Amino acid sequence: MRKPPEHTISKDAIKAWKITAILYEAIAWVLTIVGFILFITIDFPLWIVLIVAVLTAISTYFSIFMLPKLRWRRWRYEVFEQEIYIQHGILVVSRTLIPMIRVQHVETQQGPILKKFGLASVSISTAATTHEIPALSNEIASDLRDKISALAKVDEDDV
Amino acid sequence: MSKPKRLHPAAVILHIVIGIRNSLFFFILLFVTLFDDKLLYAFLAMLALLLLIIITSVLTWQRFTYRVEEDELRLEYGIIIRKKRFISKHRIQSIDLTQNILHRIFKLTKVEIETAGTGAEAEASLICVTLTEGEALRAELKSISSREQHENEIEEEAYLAQTITRKQLLLAGATSGSIGVLLAIAGFAFSEIERFIPSNFYDDAYRWIIGLGLLIMVLFIVGTLLLLWLLGIIGTMIKYWNFTITKVDEDIVITRGLLEKKQITIPLKRIQAVGYAESVIRQPFGYATVIAEIAGGSNEKGEDFSTVLFPIMKVEEVEAFLEKFLPMYVNKQNNMQSLPKRARKYYIIRMTIPALLLLGVVFFVFPHLSWIPLILLAVCVGLSLLQHKDAGYLINGQKLLIRYRNINKVTMVLHHKRIQAFNKKQNWFHRKENLARLKLSIIGKMGLGKHYTIKELDVTDVDDLSDWYSYRKKG
Repeated sequence: MRKPPEHTISKDAIKAWKITAILYEAIAWVLTIVGFILFITIDFPLWIVLIVAVLTAISTYFSIFMLPKLRWRRWRYEVFEQEIYIQHGILVVSRTLIPMIRVQHVETQQGPILKKFGLASVSISTAATTHEIPALSNEIASDLRDKISALAKVDEDDV
Repeated sequence: MSKPKRLHPAAVILHIVIGIRNSLFFFILLFVTLFDDKLLYAFLAMLALLLLIIITSVLTWQRFTYRVEEDELRLEYGIIIRKKRFISKHRIQSIDLTQNILHRIFKLTKVEIETAGTGAEAEASLICVTLTEGEALRAELKSISSREQHENEIEEEAYLAQTITRKQLLLAGATSGSIGVLLAIAGFAFSEIERFIPSNFYDDAYRWIIGLGLLIMVLFIVGTLLLLWLLGIIGTMIKYWNFTITKVDEDIVITRGLLEKKQITIPLKRIQAVGYAESVIRQPFGYATVIAEIAGGSNEKGEDFSTVLFPIMKVEEVEAFLEKFLPMYVNKQNNMQSLPKRARKYYIIRMTIPALLLLGVVFFVFPHLSWIPLILLAVCVGLSLLQHKDAGYLINGQKLLIRYRNINKVTMVLHHKRIQAFNKKQNWFHRKENLARLKLSIIGKMGLGKHYTIKELDVTDVDDLSDWYSYRKKG
């Protein structure tokens, strides 16, 4: 665990995350606009609306322009014969080891946004935890799923 | 045992009791809405409801049959929708016998059969069979043919067993969690009373009477606290009465309870981690509770949702106890790796921030009550120092001993092969100071994971642990 894992996830992940963030921020902006309308029509306190607007602007900057890139840069994974090694996190860097013999099942998932970029995420479940590698290209994701599933042997002593 | 059998007829009574309990709301609703002018209708409706419950109870009992056939437990039940449930003997994880008061009067028992499946409910529940039948059923389902003759040879006395002594039971009750809450209440109450005393000194005429009143009040409060404490003791005694742990072949069997007698079977294979917890109250007296983490759908709850293997014993006795029952979890080494000194400030900051916030708020809103958060702050600082001091780990071959404290000091022994995932986390400050947070995941109750976290270990220690855990061969 001294060295970070080798592989990065697909660079398109940044775009996909940006689009997801834009959708969420749109909701925040709609609320802000409603606030302004309320201010004009029923004299809703302006300072509340302004605070909401400033907060929305800040969160828009962070979640659309800053975080996706940082997040992508940190996201790494590596699959060995005996275990899976994952790193992620922007401020708090988390590194996880999952032994192959502890893997219960693997699955690939694809939402509408990931689909647009030809991406899929792989989630790996043990009996106690679930780990997700987001936004890999379709082929890599399905290769990875098949590889992990082939390597995941059942331990004799398992419960 | 191939003929389909019914439960004991007393099951009807139990079904009726459960039925009435479940529809108590309707009874009350009927009574309230029709009480004024249509009392007769209310009684008729209640009678009808009662009749319905009785009929369904009888039918439920009549339809429910069980038999053991071809290494399977086969249940058939259901009034309108007929259901058949077959459970393979080899998939059964545990068979628990529980007796409440009604069961015990008629020498009956409830049998709950669990597989590894998730969910709080047992997979099969025979609510009422005779005790001998229940024990026979358990023996039959437990025995896997090759072991069958072997088992008959061993006498009951040959099994290892340990029973709680009266003294231990009393101690367990006296130091159970409730006393902490009581002490907090007591402290609060006494300090509040003190604040009222001076105002009473001014008025000489009322002084004596109010003094007496105050005395009565103090006595009353002390009495209430004592009563609550006694209730706590009684509660614990009822729960852990005659607590006995027995090792039967590959299972740990626990029996306990005064009013409701419980018998729990835990297969050794299902145990994920074993250790002991020293609660704040018990630690000064050198006592601990032996606990285990068990995988599967057991609904048996103990302290912090762990299963209690023994309610109370001296910390020095734990090793001998484990040697006897779970030798693979004994740890003889004692050179634990603690946290570095530079980690201490994180612990203090984390614990004091909520207390400081509270202090700030209270100081501005109720300045005269500031002493409460101040005491809290002192307690938090003390606790954080203890948390830092107690945390640590020790690698011993395939075993890993970890110790941490939230409020109670917990020491657990985990096996390498039982750890499902290994996680290391570092925030920005941690990276500057070469610290890291360790998280180990094992299988917990009801299909959920149980996670052990040690915060702010030295990063080289975490890396050493990751090398220990990693299945990759290091070059």
